[in-house]
Amino acid sequence: MEGVSYQRFPKIKVREVKDDFMKFELRDTDASIANALRRIMIAEVPTIAIDLVEIEVNSSVLNDEFISHRLGLVPLTSERAMSMRFSRDCDACDGDGQCEYCSVEFYLRVKCLSDQTLDVTSKDLLSSDHTVVPVDYSDASSSFDNTPNKGIIIVKLRRGQELRLRAIARKGIGKDHAKWSPAATVTFMYEPEIYINEDMMESLTLEEKTELVESSPTKVFGIDPENKQVTGKCMIVGNPSAPPGIPLCGSRWPNMIWDYASGEIPCLFFEKVIVVDPEAYTYDDEVLKKAEAMGKPGVVEIHAKEDSFIFTVETTGAVKASQLVLNAIEVLKQKLDAVRLSDDTVEADDQFGELGAHMRGG
Amino acid sequence: MNAPDRYERFVVPEGVKKVSYERDTKIMNAATFTVEREDHTIGNIVRMQLHRDDNVLFAGYKLPHPLQYKILLRIQTTSQSSPMQAYNQAINDLDKELDHLKSQFEGELAKHTRDY
Repeated sequence: MEGVSYQRFPKIKVREVKDDFMKFELRDTDASIANALRRIMIAEVPTIAIDLVEIEVNSSVLNDEFISHRLGLVPLTSERAMSMRFSRDCDACDGDGQCEYCSVEFYLRVKCLSDQTLDVTSKDLLSSDHTVVPVDYSDASSSFDNTPNKGIIIVKLRRGQELRLRAIARKGIGKDHAKWSPAATVTFMYEPEIYINEDMMESLTLEEKTELVESSPTKVFGIDPENKQVTGKCMIVGNPSAPPGIPLCGSRWPNMIWDYASGEIPCLFFEKVIVVDPEAYTYDDEVLKKAEAMGKPGVVEIHAKEDSFIFTVETTGAVKASQLVLNAIEVLKQKLDAVRLSDDTVEADDQFGELGAHMRGG
Repeated sequence: MNAPDRYERFVVPEGVKKVSYERDTKIMNAATFTVEREDHTIGNIVRMQLHRDDNVLFAGYKLPHPLQYKILLRIQTTSQSSPMQAYNQAINDLDKELDHLKSQFEGELAKHTRDY
């Protein structure tokens, strides 16, 4: 009864990994998988964020709601989130979201006593769980700027103003509220395949080539610096039997014109248009339009490889970029598991099937 | 004031089935699956996976309305298969693909962190 498998075996190549950034290639699968992963990274990988705020004292210039909203948007380290419970289906607590399985408590107690304005920042938030703290954005590598890193500013207090509150952070997903989204940006692009028709390209003048190269708004093409135009005399190494006046194809310099007229052999190297960075191409078609306008359609051909994707993932710091991808795969697996047919659905259909067959007189 | 809870978008209400199945009354081997609280993420990957199946004659999904948090997935197969079999097969294949993807990613990551 089991059908044949139509499974694919996608490949991944990691290009760059940093804590909050990564770039990788995904191959041998289709856009639906790539897009599902992207959508899940943005909206369905869980993180922890402040969700409930009880304000004791607030004599700052910002109102309670305003401060609560700002607190919610502060990214918290969320490595624990995957194993935590959603407070709505936590049975250890009665839904008030104050137990260790589904929530983390924060306190904020600040009062300005000096004449100088006091910045209340994410660093003033005291967590009940050392694994869930506001993300530290101080960059160890940029030690040259000596401005002390003070975290994310929540509110500023003047002399005598005070802010005292208790906040509860919960697990959630970006679909619920964007504050729970671990992703800053997640994008993927089709890998472009760019072909230059060399023969047709050589029929262009230098000006035309430069024009073509510069028609692309991003730097996709360039002129090969190693193949700058040189006119002079040189000896031919290969293929001396080729007819005069014809480019020596297949030789080291395919564009060399060979002329017998002089005793020596003058030669001419043309500039070669090369692809500098195929991934800079934004699928804007500008080069293709230019080629068309120059009466040389087909001099450059560009295809999107439909089974190769280049992903860039940036996170808010709540989870590492590499972990975000792994979590996304895990979440997608859980989702697929949830949409499996339940046994009673199958059973009901089996009965229906018999009934249907009976009714059809079979 | 009377706004529905935000979680209604992704939590299946009590007493509602996550996936329900309805045979087509007129066409053989055709059925509609209603998947509650899912969207393009699941709909599109299942549809594309079904298209890889030679026994599937038709597979399509729709999100009927942005405020109705469900998708309808319609499958018609040849007599060699059934919509239910094709659906299960698609999910199994996707699950295996993701297992493979995960091990690939972990392997690549280990390679990359070692190079540091």
